Amino acid sequence: MPGIDECLLEAMGLPGARGAAVVEWTTGLALGTLGVSPTNDYETTAVETAELARMAAEHTAFATAGNHGDAEAAKGSPVEDVIVTTPTSYHLLRFVDTTFDSSVFFHLWLDRDEGNLALARIRLQGLAERLVLG
Amino acid sequence: MRALNPSMLVRMAGDRATGALLRETGTVYLLDGEVVHAESPAAPGVDVLLLARRRLSSAEWQETIDRAGARCRVGRSLVESNLLTSGELEICHLGAVFDAAFFALAPRTGPTRFRYGATHWFGPVRPLRAEVVERETRRRQELLDRIWPHPEVDSAPVVRDRAADNPAVTRRQRAVLDLADGIRTPFTMARLLGRPAFHTLVDVRRLAAAGHLRTPRRAAAAEPSPIPAWVADLSADPDISLLRRLRDALEATL
Repeated sequence: MPGIDECLLEAMGLPGARGAAVVEWTTGLALGTLGVSPTNDYETTAVETAELARMAAEHTAFATAGNHGDAEAAKGSPVEDVIVTTPTSYHLLRFVDTTFDSSVFFHLWLDRDEGNLALARIRLQGLAERLVLG
Repeated sequence: MRALNPSMLVRMAGDRATGALLRETGTVYLLDGEVVHAESPAAPGVDVLLLARRRLSSAEWQETIDRAGARCRVGRSLVESNLLTSGELEICHLGAVFDAAFFALAPRTGPTRFRYGATHWFGPVRPLRAEVVERETRRRQELLDRIWPHPEVDSAPVVRDRAADNPAVTRRQRAVLDLADGIRTPFTMARLLGRPAFHTLVDVRRLAAAGHLRTPRRAAAAEPSPIPAWVADLSADPDISLLRRLRDALEATL
């Protein structure tokens, strides 16, 4: 069963991966980091990405339950992932659902020329699930 | 805001010491100079976090303690017996350790002692550098003050303010509001919700800033306290006093 470091290592194996982190969005605390940080400071990057993740997780516009109100409400986060694109990079934030109360997400920073956003998104989804489901 | 005794924890860590840094508001455990555990009466422990939403049953928790507690391997044993994944253990334990350290290392006058050789029965999971823990503790204090610079709301019973034009609340904040009965404090709510105490304080301060919760008027004569008064008051709790006496008696026999 993988822990935080094994999952980060696997994420860094993706094409174009430059940096990866597991971050708590309520506090902005990085629980684990690997690779380079876009700000050259893991803690600053964690605080900034956590703020973005918090907005996505908490704002009501993204939390519309539609027809599956109860099923959605039972899950940890109403949002699956947040994608930010820049001329040179992709940033993928993937929420991790735990059965106990937590607020954790993966942050993967990809080089835009080398990275494959669709592949990374699918792989990160799998990693986020394996981190807590084994 | 600086923690009162940054040097003591960092100095002990620099000496690669093993033992417990004891303060009135909590305890931080070092193993070979790294922070491996922390606990505080203010912060729900790993057991509270895992049991609140039935991630573990109390029987499973108790069996693990019985099996691995004496060997100080409770955390690892939860994974070895397939009760938790490594990821779950790490996420939960790190959350609990940083939460307890926030209260344990909070700036406050009072004695700080270091008991060499003391280890915690939970056992190491993901050791942390002492500097990282101290820096995070300071950052958290600044975060609270940025959200709503009124520490009074941390310790007081949470009272709702039902003005019609208050902005919408988030799902996590809704859970806090639903528990606000004018008696519960953020500390008791954190235990009921199975959430770290600091996370609950963040939501309480945000709710107070948005006008959903009343901010008690600061007593004119009171010194601004860097740590919620209820943390210190906890030692007056008869259960905790009893536990402390038991602990001291046990330690005296070692």
